[in-house]
Amino acid sequence: MLNEERIILMTRMASFEKGEGKENVKVGNYFRSDYITVQLLKAIVSGAVAFVILFGLYVCYHFEELMQDLYQMDLLAFVQNIIFYFIGLVAGYGVLTYLVSSWRYNKARKSLKCYYHNLKKLNSLYNDMQ
Amino acid sequence: MTVLLEMKERLKLFYSKGEPFLLPLVKFLLAFITFNTLNGRMGYMTQLDNIAVVLIAALTCSFLPGGAMVFFAAIFSLAHMYALSLEVALVGLCVYLVMYLLFFRFSPKDSLVVVVTPLLCAMKIPYVVPIVVGLLCSPMSAVSVGCGVVVYYVIEAIVGNASNIRTMGDDEMIAKVRILLEAITGNKAMLLVVVSFAITILVVYFIRRMSIDYSWTIAMIAGVMINVVVLLVGDLLYDINISVGGALLGSLLAIAVAKVVEFFRFCVDYSRVEKVQFEDDEYYYYVKAIPKMSVSMSTKTVKKINTQQSRSAAGGRGGALRHTGRITQPSRTVDRSTGGRAGVNRTTGERSESGRNAGSRRGNGGSDNVRGSGAGRNQRSSAYTQNRGNVTIGSTVRQDLADSEAEDTMEDYEELY
Repeated sequence: MLNEERIILMTRMASFEKGEGKENVKVGNYFRSDYITVQLLKAIVSGAVAFVILFGLYVCYHFEELMQDLYQMDLLAFVQNIIFYFIGLVAGYGVLTYLVSSWRYNKARKSLKCYYHNLKKLNSLYNDMQ
Repeated sequence: MTVLLEMKERLKLFYSKGEPFLLPLVKFLLAFITFNTLNGRMGYMTQLDNIAVVLIAALTCSFLPGGAMVFFAAIFSLAHMYALSLEVALVGLCVYLVMYLLFFRFSPKDSLVVVVTPLLCAMKIPYVVPIVVGLLCSPMSAVSVGCGVVVYYVIEAIVGNASNIRTMGDDEMIAKVRILLEAITGNKAMLLVVVSFAITILVVYFIRRMSIDYSWTIAMIAGVMINVVVLLVGDLLYDINISVGGALLGSLLAIAVAKVVEFFRFCVDYSRVEKVQFEDDEYYYYVKAIPKMSVSMSTKTVKKINTQQSRSAAGGRGGALRHTGRITQPSRTVDRSTGGRAGVNRTTGERSESGRNAGSRRGNGGSDNVRGSGAGRNQRSSAYTQNRGNVTIGSTVRQDLADSEAEDTMEDYEELY
């Protein structure tokens, strides 16, 4: 015997699993701290690579000046500046990543909560039938 | 309005029927236009500027995920840059990598936005993008729009300096990179457009989410105004020479496109707003319910009635059925149902003669269609509509049983007795 309520519930859940649920289930497999740590690590690596690329472009742009001033300039201060900018970029990007990943995790948990609630309801419908 | 709503329903039905073919077709067309535009703007690599190559790439994109289109477009542009000069290709690659590593990670699903933004910028109608993105996407999509704008201006900078770069020799590597980087970083128009589009997207998004009447219309008008104001202020401050007429005309076009988007995505009837208030053990609820506007479209049903079986079915039920062979009948039902509430379609001007043949299982003989109480119920009622034959003679509607239903009814009848 077809149960209309059960079919509606299953359709809704299947649609969720096929769409946004796929990503949310992946996120939901992590603890909050683990998920944010993984995202932060990715952000640090991405930030570092991006900084190297940007620094390469900067060197290309100021190549002639750098070559001219290489022996007169304070190399230690130059390196300190580079490290300062590196930390600034990576830290700033890390903070942004932290905020975005926290928001995404909360959103995913909320939608998964709804999904599990539907799952329970489906289970109870099956039990009622038996 | 009813005609438009009916057309919308038809389009939805057409899309739902042909989705497996329509989606790849749309992807193919978008990819084809994008690659052709790239070839038209740059076209330095003659091997790529070939319709066969474009067709193959577009066909490949049509059955791959949306991100593939971004990848192919990046490959196309980098190949053209490489044909111009190796240094240009390196700068282009660096810009793409930085965008991917720092920005595109936050909104990886917005590949369509990244492709469409530079395309519309090239077509001189970029003002549509922030309004439509603000209406349909999340605030994070501002990042994707920004990336798209940067891509457009990078390509423009390369195209603008192509003649200079060509005249330079191989020993002027650094000079080539420098020219290009100066053209990109010193482009205040690019920064202004990125900032104004980001502000517009945020304004449109937050206004359209507000609980006010006509929020979508207010959002799109406010967004357009903010966009024009920011562009004009930036123009005055940095002397960028933005075309005011173009911005205004583009904004009008943006509103027109946004209204079309609103019609398909957020078509509600504010004259029937309901405000309800209730409470449970933990909360007080203040709910504002706005009914959606919808019309069930007219359908044509062709029924071939099997005389022999139907007669036997009719005989079992007292012979109330009459048969007229093959009949084509348009049944037109118009309703203004409320979203989430049960609204009942009514067939006006028709007298129902369901009689005994309709059977108690099928309810009355009209084309009633209970909506809003769940997908399953809708599916079920539409299945009934398919199985039923409506025969109209003058203003009379007669319900005839289709073959399968006649057999079902007979089985039920035999089980009962």
